[in-house]
Amino acid sequence: MMRPLVIFLAVTRNWLRSRSGLFFSIMFPVLLLIVFGAIFSGGGGGGQTTLFVQNLDRSLNGTPTNASSAFVQALNSTKTFAIKDVPADADAKVWARNNLGPLGGNIRIVMISNGFERDLINGTLKVKVGISYNLLNTTYQHLLLQVPGLNDTQKMIYEQGLAQLQSYNGTLPDSRTSLTWASDASDQSAQVIKNIVASVANAFNYRVIGAKSVIEFNEESVTSTSYGAVDYYLPGIISAFIMTNGLIALTSVTSEFKRRGIIKRLSITPLTKLDWIIGNVLSQTLLSLMLTAIMIIVGYIIFRVQAIPDALTIIMIFIGSVMFSGLGMILGGLVKDVEAAVALGNAIAYPMMFLSGTYFPLEIMPSYLQSISRVLPLTYFSDGLRYALIYRYTEGVFTNMAVITVLAVAFILIGAVVTRWKEK
Amino acid sequence: MAKVVVVEVNGLVKQYEDLKAVDGVSFELHDGEVFAFLGPNGAGKTTTVEILECIRTLTGGTARVFGYDVTKREDVKEIKKRIGVLPQDFSALDKLTVKENIDLIGGMYEKKLDTSEVIKMLDLEEKTKTRFENLSGGLKQRVGVAAALVNDPQLVFLDEPTTGLDPKARRDVWQVIENLRKLDKTVFLTTHYMEEAQVLADRIAVINKGKIAAIGSPQELISQYGGLKTLIIRRGGKKLAETLQQKYGNTDLSHDGDVLMKADDVSEMWQALSTLTSLKLDKEIEIQAPTIEDVFLKIVGGRITEEGELK
Repeated sequence: MMRPLVIFLAVTRNWLRSRSGLFFSIMFPVLLLIVFGAIFSGGGGGGQTTLFVQNLDRSLNGTPTNASSAFVQALNSTKTFAIKDVPADADAKVWARNNLGPLGGNIRIVMISNGFERDLINGTLKVKVGISYNLLNTTYQHLLLQVPGLNDTQKMIYEQGLAQLQSYNGTLPDSRTSLTWASDASDQSAQVIKNIVASVANAFNYRVIGAKSVIEFNEESVTSTSYGAVDYYLPGIISAFIMTNGLIALTSVTSEFKRRGIIKRLSITPLTKLDWIIGNVLSQTLLSLMLTAIMIIVGYIIFRVQAIPDALTIIMIFIGSVMFSGLGMILGGLVKDVEAAVALGNAIAYPMMFLSGTYFPLEIMPSYLQSISRVLPLTYFSDGLRYALIYRYTEGVFTNMAVITVLAVAFILIGAVVTRWKEK
Repeated sequence: MAKVVVVEVNGLVKQYEDLKAVDGVSFELHDGEVFAFLGPNGAGKTTTVEILECIRTLTGGTARVFGYDVTKREDVKEIKKRIGVLPQDFSALDKLTVKENIDLIGGMYEKKLDTSEVIKMLDLEEKTKTRFENLSGGLKQRVGVAAALVNDPQLVFLDEPTTGLDPKARRDVWQVIENLRKLDKTVFLTTHYMEEAQVLADRIAVINKGKIAAIGSPQELISQYGGLKTLIIRRGGKKLAETLQQKYGNTDLSHDGDVLMKADDVSEMWQALSTLTSLKLDKEIEIQAPTIEDVFLKIVGGRITEEGELK
């Protein structure tokens, strides 16, 4: 049998029988997928955002007015919020802080001002009268142009009517009702929540004045299949763990083999350095494919993920495994001590994991961090894998594949140079 | 018939910055012999052996194995095919079984023995399916020897094969080396155990501070450097020691009360014995020949501790 295959079989067998190796290479990523999936897949009525609402618009007997109650009901109907009513006589901020619950959280308060209903009615009436005036005036101007036989009496009646309507509108108060929003400046999600509340207020406003939306908002997926949130995290988690397996697991195994003299023992045989590297890269590739398969199977069973790998995905995984194995070989070759090798692997892997858009979109990062992410190999690998596995965007796959292929060849060559096969 | 030279080393030097680990070593290894490098830790044993195994570079001199130059790339390939090695502190893949680990090393060679044959040779049949991590120290060394033999080598390097083993495991490894001798293998053994070298080796090279201090068969070394035989009278006491000292000289009293009399020839030994007979002493008597330890003490001026340090 060929020497690289013998190394591949031995190293793979040794790894498959190691409980800690299996846990960190397979079980840990699967657990992470389950956690991510549970957080982001939603459903089951959980995951509602607490919203404190203080309704100060009360009738004489102290009960909330009909309009303010209807607005609260409109907020409730979005099913986005778990609404907590703040007593009208309480200091809303203090009350909210004291009623966050044992686990705490962010304080977001909507205060409905006193006179909400009255101002709403007056404001709505003024808007409606104004609309009626504009409508009649437009109709009158149209008649003047289109109906030549209109006599002076008829014109006078129209103009008097319009003048009376305008005059009446002038007597109506220019009321505007207000909602007050309060949140913490450090609360990064507050802006999103506030926008939802504002959208509800707008919709409520349209409904009250009897307007109908003429713009219909339709939603479509950019992919041919309808994917869930977990499908989108899947390539990120897979690529991140293929990286850690190559960078940390392979580095520590190589250092451990080196420390215990196993590599030295093998180097006494006709085995070449290249045979050794190929055997390890093949083993890492198998591990990566197993990880991908298990992640997809677990994802399908629990979250019904629909991302099925095709040939391009498998090629991406192979090249990614080669690339990170090469990087692992470089670290393993440079550092003899196992602990130092693992520490170095961690020091490189974890920042790369968070700066490569694996878990967080690059768009939310500052521009200088986005620039850094563009020089990280994981960025190209996770993007390529996402294009291959989710978007089926072939051009994007090939562009990223080209980058990681160049890096893979470079890393393997450097790894081969720094892996010491002969003692000094 | 002329002896076939398997290893030929001339003026070998290995320099590490300020340290000269091997300093002009020259020796030959003949086909079928068990050759021992005896010396304390840091003497240059492993460095020399690793240069011959082609995993360490040399700084000066020449080294040839089976006529192949250890510094030439093409020659190195030929050497590696023909040698078997048990490195110092041998280790293997923990999660693999005995058979799988031997198969791993065997898989590196085009020509190799059947693994089960090697396992049988090393008496490891019962442990074939046991993982390496679950073996005792002695069994691990036997796996190491099995791995060294799997390519049916003509020359076997055993670097400190019994270091750290308990006495029984050490004897087991000795038996393995005896079996290698029966198989006509050439064995290059490094050790810091005097008894091991004396019992196993056909020839011994005493090495210290990177230089070979003496080389020869155990008997040659003992006769040349070992000194006199010792007549020991257990619990003989001070009075007897004074009597023998007066008559024959060279007599000491040990702290245990044993009388130790050195005699340089057999007749003197007999005379001393007849003196003891005339004194009608009821004491235990023993005649002790010099050992390699005496040789080492004489040549190097110190003893080697169990841990391999020079004292």
